[in-house]
Amino acid sequence: MPSVTFLPVDAPPIIAELLPDMTLMEVALINDVPGIIGMCGGICSCATCHVYVAADWADRLPAMTQEERAMVDALDRAGPTSRLGCQVRLEPGLDGLTVRVALPE
Amino acid sequence: MIETAPPPLDYDPFDYRQHDDPYPVYRRLRDEAPVFHNSRYDFYALSRYDDCQRAVRDFKTFTSAQGTSLEELKAQVELLINTDPPVHSRLRHLTAGLFTPARVAPLEAAVRDMARALIAPHLAAGRIDIIDDFAARLPMAIICRLLGFRREDEDLLRGWTDTVVHRDEGVFAMPDEGMQATLKLYDYFNAELADRARGASREDIIGLLMAAQAEGRIDHQGVLGYIYILSIAGNETTTKLIGNMCYQLHRHPDQFAEVLADRSLISGLVEETMRFDGPTQMMARTTTRDVALHDRVIPAGKKVALIFTSGNRDERHYEHAERFDVHRNPRDHLGFGGGLHACLGAALARLEARVAMEELLSTLGYFAVEEEGLARMHSPNVRGFTHLLVRFVAR
Repeated sequence: MPSVTFLPVDAPPIIAELLPDMTLMEVALINDVPGIIGMCGGICSCATCHVYVAADWADRLPAMTQEERAMVDALDRAGPTSRLGCQVRLEPGLDGLTVRVALPE
Repeated sequence: MIETAPPPLDYDPFDYRQHDDPYPVYRRLRDEAPVFHNSRYDFYALSRYDDCQRAVRDFKTFTSAQGTSLEELKAQVELLINTDPPVHSRLRHLTAGLFTPARVAPLEAAVRDMARALIAPHLAAGRIDIIDDFAARLPMAIICRLLGFRREDEDLLRGWTDTVVHRDEGVFAMPDEGMQATLKLYDYFNAELADRARGASREDIIGLLMAAQAEGRIDHQGVLGYIYILSIAGNETTTKLIGNMCYQLHRHPDQFAEVLADRSLISGLVEETMRFDGPTQMMARTTTRDVALHDRVIPAGKKVALIFTSGNRDERHYEHAERFDVHRNPRDHLGFGGGLHACLGAALARLEARVAMEELLSTLGYFAVEEEGLARMHSPNVRGFTHLLVRFVAR
């Protein structure tokens, strides 16, 4: 089963089935990943699906839009591999992707 | 001293009397019955922030597949709001990219022009009906623009969509007029689609949906349903938000003065109104299993009202939750719902509400609501005015 792994804060890792065409945020909600809220439902406006992508995966994801970049840059907890889960569309090639869930802002 | 016992606690969104001021009942629900059962209609209600938040997030337990009204679902079409993943995700992804803040931002100039044009004829009189003359027209004009409908059809479409959401007092179903209006809307959309199929393709929402249909990603009924939901959702909730915002300014003169002096507070005014007196009071879900919560059990297969505006006033989540404060800037309120079904048009609604308010304040200045002329719409889900007359210094 192609999968993605979520590393929540203070909770065990969650290995979730990679559902192509769904976003990281949606897969997180389907799998009850703690800390991923998805408050705005995926319109890139709340940043409650902020994750840090494992370093070796960061360059393999679809590039950020300017809009996602601007949202991430405004986050206090932004890191070099920060992404918004709702803006990362999953595809089979991302099997094995690992992301760490950010603390709330 | 005689102490009178409080009346028995009842949450009945089909009772018109509860629409004027539902907030005392909400407070009692949160304190006395966080899992409330309405035995008349056999539904449950959650009223605390955490419970509503958890429910919108947990779509496997609280499904949307039986609709988001308390009444039984009549439509057989797969509507965006009545589906769960993966169907919901497939539908939502078709247009979600068009509704991000950056994608709606270019509409600002059009919203502003329209707002100015709507206000201008009333300046000399010093009196305007915020709803009828302004807020009811602005969102429909924008949604017509987004959907590529003719401007002269706006009134017609708004009449039908308003009829769809109206509920007769004490009646637990969509009235016949609502069904008729739904059919008229579908006829209109069908004619539009047929018309557009003959012409060149256009790059707007309907064009995108038609392209998706051509690729087999959505069927014809699905396209109709999509347009139906966008027409309704894009219309009356934003209308009610603008009305409620004006009303709250009127009720809080100190903050009215602050916002007038510092227009940068308007975004905060929008968010705080969404929290404190948001138009969408409640959305329903249906349990897929027995849910144990606060020493009660909601059986599987029951409708559950998620009272968002009650959650938004939950003292367990917000300090001084029943106090209106434009400085609060709450970004985690449930005014747009939350989770995968969170309002798709939230960024557009925020834009329209902000620009509407900027234009109202800069042209009217202070205004006072004629309280005796206030009239409400009646719906179990949505709360707001149908008439909100204000007076201001004539220009």
